[in-house]
Amino acid sequence: MYYHSKYRINSEMKMIHLLEENHLLLLMLQHFEIDFRVGDLTIAQLCREYDISENLFIGITNLYSGVRVANNTSFSKKDLLRVINFLKNSHTYYRSDKYPQIRNFVFQLKQNHPDKELKLLEQFFDEYFAEVLEHLNYEDTIAFPYFIALLENKENTAASTNYSSDEYSEHHTDIELKLKDLKNLLLKHLKISDDWMLRRQLLFALYELEYDLYIHSLIEETILIPAGIGIENE
Amino acid sequence: MNKTLQQTQQHIVILEASKIISEGLYGVLFHSEINCKIDYCDTLDDFFELFETKAPHILIANSMQFLNREKEVKKIRKIHPNILIVGMDCMHMPKTNGLFDASFSLYDPEEQIIQTISKLFEKQPFAHQTKTDDESLSEREIEVLTGIVNGFSNKEIAESLNISVHTVVTHRKNITAKTGIRSQSGLTIYAISKEIISIDDFS
Repeated sequence: MYYHSKYRINSEMKMIHLLEENHLLLLMLQHFEIDFRVGDLTIAQLCREYDISENLFIGITNLYSGVRVANNTSFSKKDLLRVINFLKNSHTYYRSDKYPQIRNFVFQLKQNHPDKELKLLEQFFDEYFAEVLEHLNYEDTIAFPYFIALLENKENTAASTNYSSDEYSEHHTDIELKLKDLKNLLLKHLKISDDWMLRRQLLFALYELEYDLYIHSLIEETILIPAGIGIENE
Repeated sequence: MNKTLQQTQQHIVILEASKIISEGLYGVLFHSEINCKIDYCDTLDDFFELFETKAPHILIANSMQFLNREKEVKKIRKIHPNILIVGMDCMHMPKTNGLFDASFSLYDPEEQIIQTISKLFEKQPFAHQTKTDDESLSEREIEVLTGIVNGFSNKEIAESLNISVHTVVTHRKNITAKTGIRSQSGLTIYAISKEIISIDDFS
């Protein structure tokens, strides 16, 4: 389901062409705080304008296009701080944008159909949303501040706290799981008549969220956690 | 085309050192109707390391890879009795003394290559197992599901049904595989929508 680029991305390519290939890169631009009006800028120019290293930008663009970051890629501390900012911005997108939108669709669906299952579906979603918020808060208040301190060279961060990248990777729960359940309930099991528009909007939103969450966890697993472990071992 | 071909996913490993050849073969298989997952390895040693425990259904190997290594090939067959080995030749050569189950040449037309590989599936011992996509749950699975949605632990379910915990776990896995639902609350909605349990228990 994820996009696979047909070519290797390089810094001379124009951003607008990449967007034509995979419009979900708009999510990435937003998380990087890059204006959607990319004009004719190449990746190199865009990176210069927004002060992002090409290495990082291309690495994450590749992730969004279904290509993993090579194991030996190393990122500067500045890059990694940028990554944390990127992840924080995606939290905002989950917390205040996508989940509320989905919540709204589920609520509408329940209003339109008196079936008891849909009331339960709403309940299911609300419980799930609460779990997600808890996880996002945990990352914002414990995990990210730890990584920032580690990166900003605060002496003995690793030694003075009980926390570690390793613990983070364990705590790294799979919030994608219940999202799959929700999708499967809608695609395989729940009988809902008509209401095409609403159901399609809901499914589109679920797919978009699933896609971004998947990349989000890849960034954590393939960029942030290995870098954190590297610094701890120094 | 044989139906099982499309339904059961075949795991194929290409043993070939040339990137150009293995990618090319990948392209041919990818565009065919064979439902397969493809892995690569460069050398026979890599193959042993990567697939010692989990054998692919089919190994497609450049026949040069087996030169003077008949013993190792026999070893593969000993470890993985069901594996099918296809030889890939740079030119037409006489079949190498029974090392291969089938063979083709790099210059064969695409359809012929696909056909050579497809024919093999008929020989496969597991090709005739009808893998049903039927997702309806068995009676036992429904009993286990009822236990799950009522909040019982695996141990409690096992005791009430007089089966082992291990069996309960297997049933749970099958339930998830069939329904696509993993969480307890998701399964509850499933059970209600299929009228396995009544909503009144959950108001």
